[in-house]
Amino acid sequence: MGLQIGMVYVLLAIGLSLIFGLMTVVNFAHGAFFMFGAYMGLFMMGLTGNFWLSLVFVPVATGLLGLVVERFTIRPLYGRDLNYPLLLTFGLSFVMVEGVRLIWGTIGHAFDTPSVLVGPVNLGFAMFPRYRLFVIVATAIIVFLLWLFLEKTNLGLVIRAGTRDSIIVRVLGVDISRIWFIVFGIGTALAGIAGLLAAPMRGVHPDMGISMLIECFVVVVVGGMGSLRGAVIAGILIGEVVSITTLFYPMMGEVAIFIFMAIVLLIRPSGLFGEVGLLE
Amino acid sequence: MEILRTESLVKTFGGLRAVDGINFRLEGGQVHSIIGPNGAGKSTFFKLISGELHATQGKIWFQGEDITDFPPHVISHKGISVSYQLTNVFPKLSTLENIRIAVQSRKATYNFWSHREMLREVREKAESILEVVQLLPKRNELACNLSHGEQRHLEIGIALATDPSLLLLDEPTAGMSPEDTERTIQLIKEILGDRSVILVEHKMKVVMKISDKITVLHDGKILAEGKPEEIQSNERVQEVYLKGR
Amino acid sequence: METQDRSTFAAWTRITDFASANSLIVLLAFLAVFPFLVPYTAIATQILISGLFAMGYNILLGYTGLLSFGHAAYFGLGAYGAGMALVYLKMGLIGGVLFGAVTATLGAMAIGFLCLKRRGIYFCMLTLAFAQLFYFLALVVFDNYTGGDNGLRDIPTPPISLPFGISLSVATPLRFYYFVFVLCVLSFLAMRRMLNSPFGAVLQSIRENEKRAKSCGFNTNRVKLIAFVFSGFFSGLAGSLYAIYYHIAPLNTLYWTTSGSVVMMTILGGMGTFAGPFVGAAVFLILEDVISVFTKSWQLFVGAIFMLFVIFFPLGIWGTLQERVFYRWLRQD
Repeated sequence: MGLQIGMVYVLLAIGLSLIFGLMTVVNFAHGAFFMFGAYMGLFMMGLTGNFWLSLVFVPVATGLLGLVVERFTIRPLYGRDLNYPLLLTFGLSFVMVEGVRLIWGTIGHAFDTPSVLVGPVNLGFAMFPRYRLFVIVATAIIVFLLWLFLEKTNLGLVIRAGTRDSIIVRVLGVDISRIWFIVFGIGTALAGIAGLLAAPMRGVHPDMGISMLIECFVVVVVGGMGSLRGAVIAGILIGEVVSITTLFYPMMGEVAIFIFMAIVLLIRPSGLFGEVGLLE
Repeated sequence: MEILRTESLVKTFGGLRAVDGINFRLEGGQVHSIIGPNGAGKSTFFKLISGELHATQGKIWFQGEDITDFPPHVISHKGISVSYQLTNVFPKLSTLENIRIAVQSRKATYNFWSHREMLREVREKAESILEVVQLLPKRNELACNLSHGEQRHLEIGIALATDPSLLLLDEPTAGMSPEDTERTIQLIKEILGDRSVILVEHKMKVVMKISDKITVLHDGKILAEGKPEEIQSNERVQEVYLKGR
Repeated sequence: METQDRSTFAAWTRITDFASANSLIVLLAFLAVFPFLVPYTAIATQILISGLFAMGYNILLGYTGLLSFGHAAYFGLGAYGAGMALVYLKMGLIGGVLFGAVTATLGAMAIGFLCLKRRGIYFCMLTLAFAQLFYFLALVVFDNYTGGDNGLRDIPTPPISLPFGISLSVATPLRFYYFVFVLCVLSFLAMRRMLNSPFGAVLQSIRENEKRAKSCGFNTNRVKLIAFVFSGFFSGLAGSLYAIYYHIAPLNTLYWTTSGSVVMMTILGGMGTFAGPFVGAAVFLILEDVISVFTKSWQLFVGAIFMLFVIFFPLGIWGTLQERVFYRWLRQD
């Protein structure tokens, strides 16, 4: 039930985790990239009406923006203490949200589910909305592709090594700033595509990013950062929590997440998987 | 008189047994050095005593009290002080403030209303410690601007400021030139008084010169223990150090 | 006088302390006549209120080294607290203000307790999350009391009841300014006292090296929580004044943009100094006013300016000024 929204959380959390794991930068603008992705989707749909084209265009456009941001605003902060990239990306999110408001207006837009994906699908044991199934499958594919990339390619190996120990990677002669550049691009691209996938479910709105980001933070606090497995499990769990709560108390869906988080904090302060996070 | 004792102390990290059943005894007023190849568990052992790490198994007794699960700040008040291997000072505070704040910890934490300079005896004590570690002329320097050797002395000064009965010194002469090393050895001898010291060091000369007793760690266990001369002539120790086994 | 470059620069912490003491006097003198220096009193009052908020915030950021992205919670709790006290409980002015500040303080205690269970970046995330929780609570759960989306409206400005039956009205802009001014003076003096105290020294040691502070014997978790509480109190006080001034406790006082604004103000002014955040608040509000003349999207530009400051002027306006001016002044000695 809450699985499809959980999948979106998963995509977001993975992107955030990747960026954090390698660069120890918490991308507070991650939500803004999510929003940007959705709006890019809106733009592309308006231009071509082709959802599949948008699926390709959105991560590329968002990733490109991410690359520009990393190169010109985050890289200069390399070497300073950790609060700086945090502050910077926080400011960036303001700028991005306002920018979107300027161009597309403050009121949100509806995003129509692509006609090919409308309607239910007969799964044998139940009827399931086609689009939601699509989201689940698409996310699974993306995560799998990402896993392949990280496990089987050389670049992926370097990234994984760098997540463990950036000094080692530097010593081995790899240009760490180039790796950061790429990882930030991938992370933001993931956020962008998450935004596109979420758009038919939640509409497109300048503030969609911040609430997703906060929920994503909850996922990360609960599941632990830098742990892909934690991101996936916690993401799905939180998706379910929201779904179930919304079913019984429609208004309390959002609040439920925070209460869940507070409970986890009180019972298992180090998160569900007991990993004391990096830099804690 | 025994001042510190560990009983079957174990610390595991996942599958690694960094400290593997250590039974350690420290006599009061002694300088007891711990040596061993890298990865032997020396730093971990230190951190277990200082409270930075929680023991997986075993107990630690200090002056007859079980301090095994105490947090670092409580252990500090019991009279144990640490000087770290990687310099661990308060970078953007002045040299004087570095020591003064440590001294202050015994006097006032929750005083919101007096000006801190009003705690005259705190400042005077800090200044006297600065003098002992030969940093008084640099009192107004930011700690981050001191030279490496000076920072190591500041490190010791901060550890001293809380008037500990047990000092844990983790490689106090790390990265120092021979002259600085010699000066630091003198300093340690001066501040000894009737304190006890556990010293982790790699430089054999320092260890031999200063220790009353030496414990050799290997793979998280005690390999050998005894007076410096005994350890020096111990074949097993030589084997471990030379052949790295 | 000490010898070269680095030594003189090293003494700047003491000198800026001295400068801050003097600058506080200068600041207060300036603020005493401020309303007469600006075209309309409103901006002066707004600067005071935002300045108080930023100064309260900086107790946590500049002095303790804790980055909170959820201070809207305390500002908003102060606003709603004062609003409810004045509207539902029909309290007097001082009572209402204090009620708001205390509400915020209690909130800070609870939120701080939970957030401090994690460190570093998780802490930051948690502060943001809890502020958002309060936002939703006000929007959805308690909207009967808070007015939901519309905010808590029609907050009165009762007169101050002094002994001997004297009643002092602060209903005019100028009078209200001085009311806020007095509270700010008291607050800044109190903050200054606290930050110079032994407790303040502990805060700074935590900022510089928490692990070392612990091993010196400080119960850093408890100290951090107390700092949180102080910060929450002053931020809540600012929120109370805000609500009374505008006669409304709007929902956006709890929204993340309020948290963002105070962060920007503090960094713009300079988190490493005592008065920096106040300067930042003034600059922020003036920029908002000026840019709004040309475009509705002033936040876009202020956000961009903020980013520039983070990259190029991390010391902030006041911080950079202090370093350049006083450093030079020192060298002349």
